[in-house]
This record gives sequence, C-alpha cells and structure tokens, in this order.
Amino acid sequence: MALVQQIQLQGGSGARGSARRIAGSPALRLVGRRLLAAIPVLIGVTFLTFVVMSALPNNTAQAILGLNASPSAVAALNHTLGLDQPFWQRYWHWLVNVLHGNLGTTVNGSSVNSELATHLPVTLELLAYSLVVSLLLAIIVAVLAARRPNGVVDRLSLTVSMIGLSAAPYAFAFLLIVVFAVKLNWFPVISGSLGSTPLSFLKATTLPACAIGFPLFAVYTRLLRADLVEQMQREDYIVTAKAKGVPPWQVLIRHALRNSMFTLITVVGLNLGTLIGAVAIIETIFTVPGIGQDLLNGIQNHDVPLIEGIVLVFALMTVLGNLLADLMYAVLDPRIRYGSSNS
Amino acid sequence: MAVPIPDATLATPTPPPLPSLVSSRRLRTQRLGRALRLWVPAGFLILVLAMCFLWPMVYTLPSPTNGNIVNASLPPFSPGHWLGTDQVGVDIFSQIVYGGRVAFEVSVATTVIGMVIGCALGVLAGYFGGWVDAVISRVLDILIAFPALVLALVIAEGLGPSEFHVILALAVFSIPAFGRVSRGATLVVRGLPYMTAARLSGTRGWRIIVRHVLPNIMPGIVTFSLLGIGVVIILEGALDFLGYGIPPPGASWGAMIANGQQVLTAQPEYVLIPSIFLLITVVALNMLGDALRERWGVQ
Repeated sequence: MALVQQIQLQGGSGARGSARRIAGSPALRLVGRRLLAAIPVLIGVTFLTFVVMSALPNNTAQAILGLNASPSAVAALNHTLGLDQPFWQRYWHWLVNVLHGNLGTTVNGSSVNSELATHLPVTLELLAYSLVVSLLLAIIVAVLAARRPNGVVDRLSLTVSMIGLSAAPYAFAFLLIVVFAVKLNWFPVISGSLGSTPLSFLKATTLPACAIGFPLFAVYTRLLRADLVEQMQREDYIVTAKAKGVPPWQVLIRHALRNSMFTLITVVGLNLGTLIGAVAIIETIFTVPGIGQDLLNGIQNHDVPLIEGIVLVFALMTVLGNLLADLMYAVLDPRIRYGSSNS
Repeated sequence: MAVPIPDATLATPTPPPLPSLVSSRRLRTQRLGRALRLWVPAGFLILVLAMCFLWPMVYTLPSPTNGNIVNASLPPFSPGHWLGTDQVGVDIFSQIVYGGRVAFEVSVATTVIGMVIGCALGVLAGYFGGWVDAVISRVLDILIAFPALVLALVIAEGLGPSEFHVILALAVFSIPAFGRVSRGATLVVRGLPYMTAARLSGTRGWRIIVRHVLPNIMPGIVTFSLLGIGVVIILEGALDFLGYGIPPPGASWGAMIANGQQVLTAQPEYVLIPSIFLLITVVALNMLGDALRERWGVQ
C-alpha cells in the first residue's frame, strides 16, 4: 500500500513520475514475471519435439531425393541440411536462429517464416471466430440453466453439452457437412480461400468454426453451469444480495457470474494450446489453408523446422492465453491488483 | 449415580441428521434416479463390450477385411449384412465389431499405462514435496503444454502404423494428466490426521504410500480414467482417420469414417454408423464417470 501511495504522490509530477509509475505498475510486473516463467516451458516444449523427432527413424533426405537416390547423394544432402550433426548441436543452431527471428527453412525450400505468415492468420481467424461464439453461447446457456437447476433448460443444456463433450470432432464435422452443406446447401463443403468480404469469410468459416467450437462450448457450459449453481447455493454474498432484495437475474449475472468467470477464463487460457489437434483435423476436412494442414504435411515429410515452428506458435499461444487470463483476473478482482502492488 | 462424562474426542463430528422435510416418495425417486444414472451407462458399455468381444465367438461374422465386390454398397438390413456393406463389399457390422475391439484394447492399455506411470510420478511429487515435486511438476508442465496429438502423430509416423505404436504414442500424452490429478489428490490426503497418525506410529514412507495414500486417492483416479478412456477412443479414431493408426487391412472406427468420407454425399450412413457407435461409447463412459464421481463424492 505504501508503494501505491508513493507512486500516486509522484504521479502528478511530470514525465519522470509517469515513467516510474509504469515501471512500478503491478500489471506490467505481472506480465514480465509470467513471460520470464514461460521461457523454460517454451524451451522444454521445443527441445522435447527435437528429441522425439531425432530419436525416430529419419529419412528426410531419402524422401526428398526419391527412392532411387544413391547413398552418397543422400549423405551429401544430409550434410547440407545439417542432419548429420548431433541433435543438441542442431537444436542450438535452431534456437540461436529463432532468437534472431529466423525459424529456418522447410524441406521444400521455402522459409518457415513466410509459411507461417501466409497460413497463421487464417488459423487465428478461424480460432477467434469459434472461441468467441462458443464462449458467448456458453455464458448465455449456462446462465439460463443455472437460473433453475434441474429445470427444462438445465436438463437440455446438460444433455447437449454431454454430447458435445463425447462427440469426435471429425465425426461431428461430417454431420455438419451432410446437413448444412449437402442437404440444405447453406455453406460450401470446401472452404478453400477465406475470401476478403466479411460475408464470404462467414460463409467459408462457419462450418469449420462450429466443428471446432462445439466441444469447447460443451466444456465451457458444463463448467460455468456447475460453478454458478454451486455459488448460488453456497456463497454468503449471494444470500446477502437476495436478502437485500436484489432481483434474481441481477444476483445471477452481477454477483455469481462475475465470480464464476475466473474458472472459465482459466480453462479458456489452458485450452488454447491443446486446440492444435482439433484445428489440424478440421482444417484438413474443410481444406482450410491454415497451419493445421501445414502441420500434417510437415509430419508426413518429417519436416523438423516446420513442425518446430508450429509447435512454438501454439506453445506461445498457450503462454499468452494464460497471461491474458491472469490479466483478466486483475480486471475482475480488485484484491489481486492491490495484492500484487504490495509485493 | 454418576453420569458418564461424554468423551468429547469420540463424539461424532457431524451433528445428528435433522428430521427430513422431504417426503419418502421423493427420496425413493431420487434414489432410483441415482441408480439409473449409474446403471444405464454401465449397461450400454457392457452391451457394446459384449458385442465387440463375445458376439464373434457365438455367431460367425463375415470377414471385417475381405469382401466380395459383387456385394458392394448394400443398404442396411440386407440379408447376411444387417448394417450393409461398404464400397468394396466388406460387411459394416463386422467392421464395427472388430474396430470396436481395437478401440477398447488401445484405450484401456493406454489409460492403464498412463495411470501407472502418471500416478507413480504424481504421488511421489505430492508426498515428498520439495525438489522432487519441483522437478516432476516442471516435467509434467512441459508435457501438458505439449500438444498431445502432434506428439502422437510424430511418434506414430516415425515408428510406422501398428496397434502397439498407437498405444505407445497415446500413453505418452495420458501420463501428465494422471500425474497432475494424483499429485493434487495426494496433497489433499497428506494433510489429513490419519497421515500424521500413521507417521507418528512409525510407518515407513513407502508403506504409507501404498496402504494409506493410494487407496484414498483411487476413487478420483478411477473416475478420471473413465473419462480418459473416452478421450483416448476419440484420439485413436483421429489417428486412424488421418491414416496413422491401425494399418490398412485392420478395421477401426476412425478408418471407417475416413473411408466413408469418399462417398459422403451419396451414402452418408458409412460415416454415420461408426460415428454413432463412437458417440454412444464415449457418452456412456463419460456418464459412468460422472455417476461414480457423484457416488464417491469426488471433486
């Protein structure tokens, strides 16, 4: 608290004061600490990928040159690709290059940077679309369900989310295609390019976004509904609010939902990195030109730099997702802000 | 006449139950509901298991790998092929049965491997704490941050398609989840009074782990493993679907979906039938897990 007062006292006194205020800002310090803590995880994840890829039988050079290539040509290509070096040396080279902003070249000869630059935005748009829609729907459905536990809406939401939790995303994607693309003809079967206008974007991405978002919606709804119901039954402040005569809807939304958002935000942050699997499969089914398809191609070609680049992107997304979750905590809960300014 | 002094330490910690305000009829329906929630999914699972493992012993099924091209694309309820045949004349029901076998074998084996290794790590980390905990937790953190399907695909691609390699690839990813869960459960159990009692009476560390920690964290682990089996069945299907799972002649639900994809518009049932079996199995597993969690009071 003393620090906060000190900063506030100095806050008004010109540029030096505001610079100190930023350096001392608890949110910024939180960001710094979290980014520092993320470095070992990022190194661990990429190193593990390298170890696994190196431990497995590797015939990249043979794959490039074809089955008829002579052993000496294969050895020569292995040398130019640097594949004859021990793996820790290769990892070190890769790491140094990454720190210089160069993710290496793919087996096909194009640079990983340009590969990611063209395909990453597509995947990010698709992910953002499915995340936003599934979150919004989950919040609405969970609040409606928690309004009357064991009521009709609640039972319905539990059934739907149980199905969403258990459905294989690839099977669900085909169901969507059969119903909405083949029978009703509302959306194209193949997304191809996403188009430039918002309408063509929606047309191309709605089905894949649904396929990615439905399991997410199920998880979020279940979680939020359970948390809301528990809060409405257990917490003292809910009883206080009810006793004061706050209308039930307001108790649910302004008191219970605000607190339940913590659990939800944590899970959203944690989930981001694991979405890569679903994204890869769904992108293949709908032929969306994103990094999920790139990843599968990379695995087929044993393309270490490409796989490393994509794994790094998703690990970074996990880290940033968790960071964002922590920052949202600070927005939602004033105690956390004051608490961290003390330390 | 001396009144015996009630021993405070022996008094029950919970107050005597209040007279119930709920009618006995309502209680009975509640109890019935709880039993149904456990036994309906369990019954479904037993049915699917019996279909996959016992049915072929009782009735002879057409081969799940070889078909006659003359019988290609028969609709469901055809004589001899009650779910029909696929594009090359292979019986669909027998593919479902043998594919289901693979799904169960892989998912149970994977989950058992993940459970044994993950629990060992998690219990060690939770029980000993300190640097053991720090090292194990860090490793688990990295494994969790690692995208599971990528790891599984890379391993399956590198080792070549086979049932054993699929199990190996998926087991690696199920270890950290079990590690996290068992570590959390161990931390809870470690703070309880009977642990102090066991330690004070001079029980050795490993004996405490085996006799006191493990039995008490088991309910949580078992319900979690049911959910895990469901996840692994879906992932195994995904590997098959992408062509990295069970090698081609063998039947699997994921491969059936992938094959059916080619004639999706003409005959959607090729995709729908395996998808429905997949859905029923995983829903049953999830509901059973939920019911057991409710019954055993696991968080």
